Amino acid sequence: MRTVILILLLVAVCWFAADCAQAADLQVPQNAVVGQPLTINLEGSGTLYLIGPGQIIKREFKSGPVEIKGEELHSAGRWIAVVKGDSEQSQVFWVKPGKPDKLNFLARPSRVPVAKKDVISGVAFVFDQYQNMVLAPTPVNFKLSVGGTGAAKTVTSRSGVAWTDSSSAAKAGSAQFVASAGDTSVLRVVQQVAADPCERNLRMHVAGHSGNMITVETDPIRDCSGNPVPDGTIVTFIQTDKTGKSTVDARIKKDIARAELPASDSATITVAAGVVLGNELHVGGK
Amino acid sequence: MKLARILALTCGIALIISIAAPHLKRIFADTKPAVQLTVKNAQPREVEDVTQNAVQRDYTLAWQALSTALANNNLKPLNDNFTGFALDKFTQRVKDQKQQGLTTRVIDNGHKVDAIFYSPDGSAIELKDTASIETQVLDGGKVIHSDKSQVHYYAIMTGAEDRWKVRVLESSAE
Repeated sequence: MRTVILILLLVAVCWFAADCAQAADLQVPQNAVVGQPLTINLEGSGTLYLIGPGQIIKREFKSGPVEIKGEELHSAGRWIAVVKGDSEQSQVFWVKPGKPDKLNFLARPSRVPVAKKDVISGVAFVFDQYQNMVLAPTPVNFKLSVGGTGAAKTVTSRSGVAWTDSSSAAKAGSAQFVASAGDTSVLRVVQQVAADPCERNLRMHVAGHSGNMITVETDPIRDCSGNPVPDGTIVTFIQTDKTGKSTVDARIKKDIARAELPASDSATITVAAGVVLGNELHVGGK
Repeated sequence: MKLARILALTCGIALIISIAAPHLKRIFADTKPAVQLTVKNAQPREVEDVTQNAVQRDYTLAWQALSTALANNNLKPLNDNFTGFALDKFTQRVKDQKQQGLTTRVIDNGHKVDAIFYSPDGSAIELKDTASIETQVLDGGKVIHSDKSQVHYYAIMTGAEDRWKVRVLESSAE
């Protein structure tokens, strides 16, 4: 019985030793980085497979170092090294992403009213040159400017993403929204347009008479920051008299909206743009 | 005589197990992985219930598709569930596998997923996943590598026409 146990023990020890000896042959790098060369020293001969998340590298080898060029290694994450040949072994190792080289930048919305708080959002995803997400904290600079003036903010990315909120400027125009990290930067354009017309600026007057028609037109229509409300915005004129109600929807053209209404002995005309009401006119009468 | 019967029975059972085991493994590999998604840490926007359910469903489908694609060297499941960089990456992996005569069997034992970012406009969500996975690399039909471990993944999903698709899926040592 003792002899059997001794033999079994001996076999187990030999097995373990052989295992250790085999494991010692495949030494994978511990600090591999995408885009940087890699060397793996191997004993014996056979085929080495490096199996990455997005690629597989194959090398035939004979005892000595196996060199992998930097430009060949472009997938970050969990890799498996497998040796087939004199001995069969495998091991897991990690490859880190390279330095920040690309930004995916989402700027929302693309068109925004002026003078609104925290209405523009910028989200930047940070990638290396091989499209691996850079998970290490990376400072990302966000700059929003219109006509050379604006504000900048630096945000450190977390798990590959950095984001910011920004208010729109008081002045209408194309805002340049730039995100930059390291040597790379991405530009997005956010169109800042006039907000709703300002109630105190929505004024109309009688511009003329022709036959049975009366022409009314507004003063130049501006928002409360003084920006002209864009052409095409609809302004509604409503005339009420004893015969009923006449409504005309007119578009702003060169800052002014104009409408022709039927002449009346006594009528009240109101003007509105969206939810904003302008002044009221009384025409005709004695 | 009795001993011979027992021996024959044992051999028979062993034979059945050895025949059935690979098929069972394949069947389990093709079943949907268990995904638990929590959204309470998502910033800066709160994740809506509908979005949570949709993301959980589509992330589960994406892992199922990835397992199927890697096991059969088939690109079709990837196209339905991945987009952008993730699609490029896994497409290349499947092509390389095919070229080298390899396949990968992913035995998925579940994912604990935390939504860590949800974009203000609701178009993108980032997930941190702790996955319990057994990975087997096969050359022909022979297993040349096998390991079982917990792996951290970071995924970015974006809204597509009728579902959420995985745009980035990256494993990390940390």
